[in-house]
Amino acid sequence: MAAKPGAATPTYSPKLVGRTRLPIFKDSDLDWSRPDGRGFHQCRPALLQTGAVSSASGSAYAEFGNTKVIVSVFGPRESKKAMVFSDVGRLNCNVSYTTFASPTLGQGTDHKEYSSMLHKALEGVIIMETFPKTTVDVFALVLESGGSDLSVVISCASLALADAGIMMYDLITAVSVSCIGKSLMIDPVTEEEGCEDGSFMMTCMPSRYEITQLTVTGEWTTPNINEAMQLCLDACSKLGEIMRDLLKQAASASEE
Amino acid sequence: MVGLSLGEQHFVKGGIAQDLRTDGRKRLTYRPIYVETGVIPQANGSARVKIGGTDVIASVKAEIGRPSSLQPDKGKVAVFIDCSPTAEPTFGGRGGEELSSELALALQRCLLGGKSGAGAGINLSSLLIKEGKVCWDLYIDGLVISSDGNLLDALGAAIKAALTNTAIPKVNVSAEVADDEQPEIDISDEEYLQFDTSSVPVIVTLTKVGTHYIVDATAEEESQMSSAVSISVNRAGHICGLTKRGGSGLDPSVILDMISVAKHVTENLMSKLDSEISAAEAADDES
Repeated sequence: MAAKPGAATPTYSPKLVGRTRLPIFKDSDLDWSRPDGRGFHQCRPALLQTGAVSSASGSAYAEFGNTKVIVSVFGPRESKKAMVFSDVGRLNCNVSYTTFASPTLGQGTDHKEYSSMLHKALEGVIIMETFPKTTVDVFALVLESGGSDLSVVISCASLALADAGIMMYDLITAVSVSCIGKSLMIDPVTEEEGCEDGSFMMTCMPSRYEITQLTVTGEWTTPNINEAMQLCLDACSKLGEIMRDLLKQAASASEE
Repeated sequence: MVGLSLGEQHFVKGGIAQDLRTDGRKRLTYRPIYVETGVIPQANGSARVKIGGTDVIASVKAEIGRPSSLQPDKGKVAVFIDCSPTAEPTFGGRGGEELSSELALALQRCLLGGKSGAGAGINLSSLLIKEGKVCWDLYIDGLVISSDGNLLDALGAAIKAALTNTAIPKVNVSAEVADDEQPEIDISDEEYLQFDTSSVPVIVTLTKVGTHYIVDATAEEESQMSSAVSISVNRAGHICGLTKRGGSGLDPSVILDMISVAKHVTENLMSKLDSEISAAEAADDES
């Protein structure tokens, strides 16, 4: 596995622009802190590496707190099934969990729901016209599940695609927010996800400022949605910068 | 799959840009909704919803089950959608499977709320009979009979109507049972419990064609879409779920705009649907 970047992995937190925020610890029901001691609007430190799997065309490893994900990209290669001619490429995504990824048993299987969501998040950003008649396979393996798995998988997948040299309009970054009571928490861990009132997951293209995927569950008021979207957009652009720096570093290292 | 010629494509897009769609509707007008309840005698509750050429049936079946060990104080709900190949040839094989699971996932997201149960259309705790031992398992099945766009909204409405129509038998549990034994239950065949469906959200899908977005898209219009956002809103005006389809990106401000439009549209749709459901229920009782 590639060397760990020298500096300590940066943590980052989005800032809300345009208005002053009410103090977070105002209500009496907020006399608790997050399990890992982070601020409510502070993301976990992102450790990212490219080139984790040597046999793949491109790969990336991501570690956000306890969530550890490895994504490898194969292709563009010949479509396996005898399919009809297509003048654009195909994308095939698969997300699976290791048997030891989570404390509950019997989880070590393919995650169909996540696979289709990963596919939907990526299909809009890859320039499919650049590899007609062929398929790109994206395989994600969640080594350890520690919350916000899908957003880590999506960010890591876009890094792996960039590492493989697949043409994309922009990098894709994903961030999720949990709503517990009245407070919003960015980048939730498993414990927080277990008791959340609502979840919000967004993937966006930071430089184009476009949202490619958005899922919301639970009950949300419009101001909360606005705030969550602001938080996610800012966190996405910050994560995007980290990923971009990493790709630049990796490229300059391979030139030397 | 709708095959549209270049001229037809222009016609559809141009109409939407001028706020006059091919069937004469405005951008934010729904097609007439027709609701019929109690269509499946074997199920605990059922409903058929027709919106224009889209025709769906939803049925609710209840079965005695065991709560999962992770959530011993809650019943279980499962949503399955079947897109019959009779509706459209492309539903046969894998195409239908993918669409079915996508629809089921979106509906599940809208109906069941967050992990803690906030914003849920169905109160899972009300399905519990005895903690950790006995609960109701609800199986919600949707069947697409014919498809002319806007399947998700139609299925959402059908499920809401089917839940209103659902009667669950009252269950009596014998009180004294040792902890590790399954208690004896007695299912009443006279007393029934009704669901409170006032909190079940309705789903509004906004389909973006060109620079504008429309509600209740037909299959023709859906073939021209760049992306679609389905928003479910409950009676309190809170958002209970949101899913985006279509690969192309959207500007954040457009999404916020869509949310406020969806909330506005829902108010009308909700009252219309409620009156249709109560009319259908009244007709069902008479017959």
